[in-house]
Amino acid sequence: MNGAHSYVSVMALPAERTDAQVVRDVLAGDRDAYRLLVRRYGDVLFGHAFRMVGNHDEASDLAQRALVTGYRKLASCRDPDRVGAWLFRILSNLSKDHLRSPRRTDVSLDRLPEIPQRGGDPLEAAHRGEVRGRLQLAMGELTPEQREAFMLKHVEGRSYEEMAAVLDTSVASLKMRVHRAREVLRDLLEDFR
Amino acid sequence: MNEDLHRHLDGELPLEGLGEDARREAEAWESLLKTFRTETTPGKAMPWLETSVMAEIEALPAPGAFQRAVSWLIHPQPVRISPLMVGVAAAALAAVLLVGRPGFGPGAPGPAPAGTGATPAALNPGQGDPVVLVQFALEAPGASSVAVAGDFDGWKGSNVLSDPDGDGIWTGRIPVKPGVHAYMFLVDGSTWMTDPRADRYQEDGFGNRNAILAVTGPAA
Repeated sequence: MNGAHSYVSVMALPAERTDAQVVRDVLAGDRDAYRLLVRRYGDVLFGHAFRMVGNHDEASDLAQRALVTGYRKLASCRDPDRVGAWLFRILSNLSKDHLRSPRRTDVSLDRLPEIPQRGGDPLEAAHRGEVRGRLQLAMGELTPEQREAFMLKHVEGRSYEEMAAVLDTSVASLKMRVHRAREVLRDLLEDFR
Repeated sequence: MNEDLHRHLDGELPLEGLGEDARREAEAWESLLKTFRTETTPGKAMPWLETSVMAEIEALPAPGAFQRAVSWLIHPQPVRISPLMVGVAAAALAAVLLVGRPGFGPGAPGPAPAGTGATPAALNPGQGDPVVLVQFALEAPGASSVAVAGDFDGWKGSNVLSDPDGDGIWTGRIPVKPGVHAYMFLVDGSTWMTDPRADRYQEDGFGNRNAILAVTGPAA
């Protein structure tokens, strides 16, 4: 720098910055601005990861990896106004790859029955632990794509149109995955219904 | 499962549109899905996720020049070029042209090339220490005033930027002595803003970050 400097900065309170503005600021070198995207989408990403893998530690790792990957590849986000959906797609791919990984542990601590709280009902706790374990085992019979579509539709309450936009696939394809997931779960969880 | 039950679970057919058996099965599904929702809802991810992500990002290299170039192309931004830059570039171009002419090569006799060694008067308004005009710009739509405060003015915010065309981009050229300086923007007289485009930052000890500006002296 030989005596001349040109500074162009965006002024707005952090909470007021749009996603596109945050993306632009991060790419311009304001690393800390990425914190806003983590705050906006962290819970959604973690929640989806947990529903996909059924394990807090693995879900934490996946959500963190998705957000760090998002930071590293932010320049390739084609629509900064929808960076949340873009981050979700990164997490979706990581989660499905993780479920296909042969090294993935089959036993999740989260599947074990909860230790009853002092004064709590041990039978109730044991029952909930069993229910959770059964659900996880049943979900394990679905393909990652079926599992994701089922969770988005029935647990996260998304419409098929929303799912199609986020996952960049067709409504018809998603319906097929959800229908197939229901058929599988119906057989495995007959006594729960 | 019959097709009507799928359509009901897809939200396309009301419960009343189902036959008796399908209706019973639909109600059983609602109960099962409720269990799914209860048992697959994790606790909040915050704040540990934010802490761990930001810590990992801190250890990564800053976004590279390629990424910045791509970003620049995708999201055009206003550019402010200091007149000093134009002057330096013009002088360099003139020097190159003159050196390229016969009689102006190294060691050749003749007058000094035009523009070399010249310092714009604005760069040295007084006769004391040299100062350099540094152009600052801040996009601050809606602001009523923007100033630059730094160690070069005792953090008074006495250097006020202006936005004559009302486009929300506040600019001003401020004389700064060569050296390394800390500064911040002061918006509307009370809001301190760290310049996100600075090359370097320094913690101020009060939970904020100052931008760091390195200014070299004008060429002799």
